[in-house]
Amino acid sequence: MFVNPEVPPDSIPSAEDLDWQPLHPRFARRLRAGALLRIAVLAVVAAAIHFFATSGGAGPLVRAVAGLLPAMWAAVAAISAWALLWPTIAVPRRGYVVCEKDILHRSGVLWRSVKAVPFNRVQHTATDSGPLDRRFGLANLSVFPAGAGGHKICGLGADTAEELRVYVSARIEAESEETAD
Amino acid sequence: MDRTINALERRRVRAGVWQRTSPFAIVFFAGRTVRNFARSFIQLVAAFGALAVLIERIPAAVLAIPFGIAAIVAGGVLQYWFFRFRLEEDRILIRQGVFRKTALDLPFDRVQGINVERSPVDRILGLVTVSLDTAGSVAAEGQLPSVSTGLAEWLRTKAGAGGPARSAGAAGDDDGQPAGQVAPAAAGRAGARGEIVLRLAAGDIVRIGLANRNIVLAAAFLGLLSEVLQIGEDAVESAMESAEAAFQAADEIVQTLLVAGFVLSGLALVLAVVIGGAFLRYHDFTLWREGGAFRSRAGLLTQREVVVETAKIQQLTLSQNLLMRLLRGFRLRALPAALLPGQGVEGTGIGRTEVLEVPFLKAPKAEELRSEVFGSEGGSLTLVPQDGGFVRVSPHYVRALTLRISVAAALVSAPLLAPLLAALAGAHFADGAGAPPGEGFPAPSPGGGAAVAAALGVFLWWLVLVPPAALLAWQRWRRQAYLHDRDGLASRSGFFGRKVDAFLFRKAQGVAVNRSPLQRRKGLATLQVQLACGRVAVPYIDHGLACRLRDRVLHRAESSRRRWH
Repeated sequence: MFVNPEVPPDSIPSAEDLDWQPLHPRFARRLRAGALLRIAVLAVVAAAIHFFATSGGAGPLVRAVAGLLPAMWAAVAAISAWALLWPTIAVPRRGYVVCEKDILHRSGVLWRSVKAVPFNRVQHTATDSGPLDRRFGLANLSVFPAGAGGHKICGLGADTAEELRVYVSARIEAESEETAD
Repeated sequence: MDRTINALERRRVRAGVWQRTSPFAIVFFAGRTVRNFARSFIQLVAAFGALAVLIERIPAAVLAIPFGIAAIVAGGVLQYWFFRFRLEEDRILIRQGVFRKTALDLPFDRVQGINVERSPVDRILGLVTVSLDTAGSVAAEGQLPSVSTGLAEWLRTKAGAGGPARSAGAAGDDDGQPAGQVAPAAAGRAGARGEIVLRLAAGDIVRIGLANRNIVLAAAFLGLLSEVLQIGEDAVESAMESAEAAFQAADEIVQTLLVAGFVLSGLALVLAVVIGGAFLRYHDFTLWREGGAFRSRAGLLTQREVVVETAKIQQLTLSQNLLMRLLRGFRLRALPAALLPGQGVEGTGIGRTEVLEVPFLKAPKAEELRSEVFGSEGGSLTLVPQDGGFVRVSPHYVRALTLRISVAAALVSAPLLAPLLAALAGAHFADGAGAPPGEGFPAPSPGGGAAVAAALGVFLWWLVLVPPAALLAWQRWRRQAYLHDRDGLASRSGFFGRKVDAFLFRKAQGVAVNRSPLQRRKGLATLQVQLACGRVAVPYIDHGLACRLRDRVLHRAESSRRRWH
């Protein structure tokens, strides 16, 4: 029997006062490790440019580049510092909540976003982990509703991600059975 | 006729035989090859160029043309031969491919809509080309070329009325068809096509043509062309002078008349093209309502029929461009789900699905259709952008948008302006820096003065850009508005034209509340509702309201037991 009683607006549960789950403590370190790898690549490129500019011929372009070398190294240093600092700022502001009917994800430092996807709209779920994630024992959980724009919750513990995936799948099953009644 | 075909189809369903379509499908396959080839413009130009060169060198290469045609036809025959489909009670299986075989197994309940196209050849022979719209990447493969009308009808009933769960869901939306409808009912219905909701007269189609926004572009282009021609005609003038010395005095008048005549005939040509195009596409546009579905048919040569089940419509979009506004008309689009994951990887999707479109209608008709699609829900929503119920978003939106537009414009145009800035800075800092600064290319010896000058130049340029950006932002803000009730939301947007996107909360796939630094300072937020056909955003509304709407959307989506697609 189809029932759909009217719910007074005040009694609709709000997503504001929720107990946000933090991401895995190792996630910030994992991000920093990834940043270090990228910085290493950047440094190698910068060193190559440095070498080329100081040892090459005396064309006008080479001289122009040579003049900019201090600025380049300053930029590399600034980018590195920022990349290493960023996870410390950003990770505590990310989080997720698994409710009875939906899963929420928040992210962003300056531009903040709180996204929610109801379980009965989830089409499928996936977990994935790159080599670096596995090194730190982490995994990412993706939740796909129809159309574009699902969640990708990065930086969960590998077992947490798997548990969540199983839980979400079970919830999807339950919801679709309820709908089929 | 239909009835006997249907009986035959039903026998085939029971036997589960693999069958081929009619041999006239060869035309379809050959045509598709040509279309695929022609779609890549460069490929086409290159091929014809190469052929032209080849024929010039070796005249015998002309033979390549009939050979090529023969190859295309042979390809069509092969594709026809390897194309087989099998009908079962709950699904259709299609196997195709000459070299790369593909097998498609499509359950009917995955079908979003069944669309029919009839080329002139098909119409003479009483055949149709059916596209099974799955809202996924398989859409292109789910095509049955040149099958009987009876089969198309049968498929339509199958996709329209599935299992009991579906019809129970549909019953909530409207007076849906009874479950387990069988083929004879469809055959009987084929003649009576349900109730006509809307039919466009020739006058309306002329209006659609007139409202084509390409007209403005074409007019601008013609104006430009006449300017150019006026210069070119100076050369013609001297020739005319010698030939008709007697009319020398009248020369200027003749010239003006010539240009005027040229512009007028050009305009007439553009009008003929856009109105002709509108007739080609929308001739005899008719919209029917059949039980729980809408069916539209239009087209002068190739008739296209689009069927979308009401329950599968995710969003209604009513739009009005500037020209349409002069004609007091609107265009309505009913968007079905664009892409169901699992049927393909993330993609644009929407380009592939057939959208039910009413190219021209008046506001009251749009409202009538809205209430038919949304049923008892969303009663106080409206699609008409001029409606007084729309609430504008916060004026802070103007500020944010001004900043966004002006910064983007300044950044894009700064490198273009570099030479000018360099010249200006060079004049001002001639004794200080010595070298002209520039954003695009590094200065040979960047002195502090030059860098400051460059930064100052960009800053001043940005300041110049702020007032026009503010004007654009203000106009954009004037259009941006929203309207909601217990069940759904309508969001208005636009710049010159207007557009209203309306949807029911229970169709939402996800919802986000986003806040920029400015929004957080002012207690505002942007509400973003993810639908299966795209995203609807309401920017710069009160944060509390955004959260309440978000919770309501979630509550509706989670507690709804009706199917959303």
